[in-house]
Amino acid sequence: MVLAQLGGSIARALQQMSNATIIDEKVLSECLNEISRALLQSDVQFKLVRDMQANIKRIVNLDDLAAGHNKRRIIQQGKTSVVMFVGLQGSGKTTTCTKYAYYHQKKGWKPALVCADTFRAGAFDQLKQNATKTKIPYYGSYMESDPVKIAVEGVETFKKENRDLIIVDTSGRHKQEAALFEEMRQVSEATKPDLIIFVMDSSIGQAAFDQAQAFKQSVAVGAVIITKMDGHAKGGGALSAVAATKSPVIFIGTGEHMEEFEVFDVKPFVSRLLGMGDWSGFMDK
Amino acid sequence: FSSMFQSIAGNAVLEKSDLKPALKALKDRLMTKNVAEEIAEKLCESVAASLEGKKLGSFTRVSSTVQTAMEEALLRILTPKRSIDILRDVHVAKEQGRPYVVVFVGVNGVGKSTNLAKVAYWLLQHEVNVMLAACDTFRSGAVEQLRTHARRLQIPIFEKGYEKDPAIVAKEAIQEAKSNNSDVVLVDTAGRMQDNEPLMRALSKLINLNNPDLVLFVGEALVGNDAVDQLTKFNQKLADLSMILNARLIDGILLTKFDTIDDKVGAALSMVYVSGAPVMFVGCGQSYTDLKKLNVKSIVKTLLK
Ligand SMILES: Nc1nc2c(ncn2[C@@H]2O[C@H](COP(=O)(O)OP(=O)(O)OP(=O)(O)O)[C@@H](O)[C@H]2O)c(=O)[nH]1
Ligand SMILES: Nc1nc2c(ncn2[C@@H]2O[C@H](COP(=O)(O)OP(=O)(O)OP(=O)(O)O)[C@@H](O)[C@H]2O)c(=O)[nH]1
Ligand SMILES: [Mg+2]
Ligand SMILES: [Mg+2]
Repeated sequence: MVLAQLGGSIARALQQMSNATIIDEKVLSECLNEISRALLQSDVQFKLVRDMQANIKRIVNLDDLAAGHNKRRIIQQGKTSVVMFVGLQGSGKTTTCTKYAYYHQKKGWKPALVCADTFRAGAFDQLKQNATKTKIPYYGSYMESDPVKIAVEGVETFKKENRDLIIVDTSGRHKQEAALFEEMRQVSEATKPDLIIFVMDSSIGQAAFDQAQAFKQSVAVGAVIITKMDGHAKGGGALSAVAATKSPVIFIGTGEHMEEFEVFDVKPFVSRLLGMGDWSGFMDK
Repeated sequence: FSSMFQSIAGNAVLEKSDLKPALKALKDRLMTKNVAEEIAEKLCESVAASLEGKKLGSFTRVSSTVQTAMEEALLRILTPKRSIDILRDVHVAKEQGRPYVVVFVGVNGVGKSTNLAKVAYWLLQHEVNVMLAACDTFRSGAVEQLRTHARRLQIPIFEKGYEKDPAIVAKEAIQEAKSNNSDVVLVDTAGRMQDNEPLMRALSKLINLNNPDLVLFVGEALVGNDAVDQLTKFNQKLADLSMILNARLIDGILLTKFDTIDDKVGAALSMVYVSGAPVMFVGCGQSYTDLKKLNVKSIVKTLLK
């Protein structure tokens, strides 16, 4: 969907670009080359750019492109939802878990955090300190080494306490290590999350697509959050990966602080990607 | 694709137009391997410049001539011009009666703290006394993370908790190292975005105040085009925000998460190309032993495959 939107934006960009009434073959090719270059500089996967260049002339029906946008899987207040966070090492899962909890807490939810990362040094302390700062209940253990066990216990505990948004943080992992993916699958199977959120760093390059696809094939990723949008990267690699997850981007992270978190809006994202400089959406807080 | 590799054997001299298709194909290949667009473009331009006007040997295809020239260029770029021998320098410092200080810097989440612990482990293997300095006084859990590594490796750690000025904590740590006979102090710092002026200023302060022996930039192999910007701006900000004349810049690179990228090894090239700094270590996993030296030949081979 995001990609389709991007196609739409490009089509619009093309229309704007030509003051002349007709865009002929040659003008179009030149524009497309420019745009392709912009996309590649933003880490959009090489193959996607090529495919897009080939397909772009067919993309004209803008109304079609907006369709599918409502398929967004949303968690609903009024029942208990379990949300599991997954992603590559250091992508921002633990930080984003708390931001997500904090965001919903302000909207009247009763969130809780479960630390199912038993691997990374200091992981539980990190989650605990974040949770304490935002006054959100948390569950975790310094002794237990089985993430599945902690995840199950944590979810059970908070269900009993009638928390309506139970967020499970997991260790960072990558597709090359099968055991790590198996562990993620088990946590997912044991906690039966209503939503699995794939967290991705906006600076990621060409490896993004393959990694995201592998995550999607292992667990039912339903949404994406792109972090570190306060940096300089344009997020094209991340966008390519979003295509691989076939899920919508729901939020972006724009800083290390708890409130630096925004609902995803496609327009400023694409503008930035294409270097058109509309940053409004990233700035107003 | 193969149509781009036509033979023009027998042609007298190479002209720009002869080279263009082969260079285009090569640039595309480099970008697929995650070389930043700007770097791939510059490389192709310099290869073109080096070949233009040259005679093409009979029975040689343009594509293979271009490939050979590119291979040479890549080897030249990736082979360090300044070599740093840490173990030797540690002993020199020791003879001068002072600890050797390494500061780990980089953007958020790239693996600074983890790879700092791996470097500590590597130094221990070489019978060097190491101390850790917990100078990420900002991110939740950062101090406990480092404490955990210190405990596992059974080495001393200097920490002052959170919200302290990291420059001062580092200074005190170095003092402490002198009195407890540590040969090396590894200074962990908080991750920061290269555009974040206040945080870059704080880093500059830490480096200027403590004049470390080595400023090690930690960058992840996963990063795309932003690699160029990260290294350029870290150097630029360290130079611009410094109060002293000859500001310290990045001395070396530690490339992390090399185990997560398959053959997309281009970030290594982008980072070295823009900074001129050598890749001193490669992180290739999450345990203490997952630290290697860069194999330049294998990188070049992978990039051109
Ligand atoms: N500037 C900035 N930093 C962020 C953002 N989100 C997370 N971070 C930082 O990125 C670093 C890594 O974040 P974590 O939340 O620890 O990442 P993680 O995915 O849980 O890491 P692992 O559990 O080790 O896989 C930390 O320094 C965070 O403060 C963001 O939106 N902007
Ligand atoms: N696969 C893999 N993971 C790594 C490697 N190096 C570090 N990591 C993981 O990356 C994540 C982040 O590592 P940290 O050392 O906390 O990163 P950092 O740069 O100190 O993060 P901040 O201090 O929050 O900016 C952790 O989950 C590490 O285990 C590596 O070489 N390969
Ligand atoms: Mg985490
Ligand atoms: Mg750290």
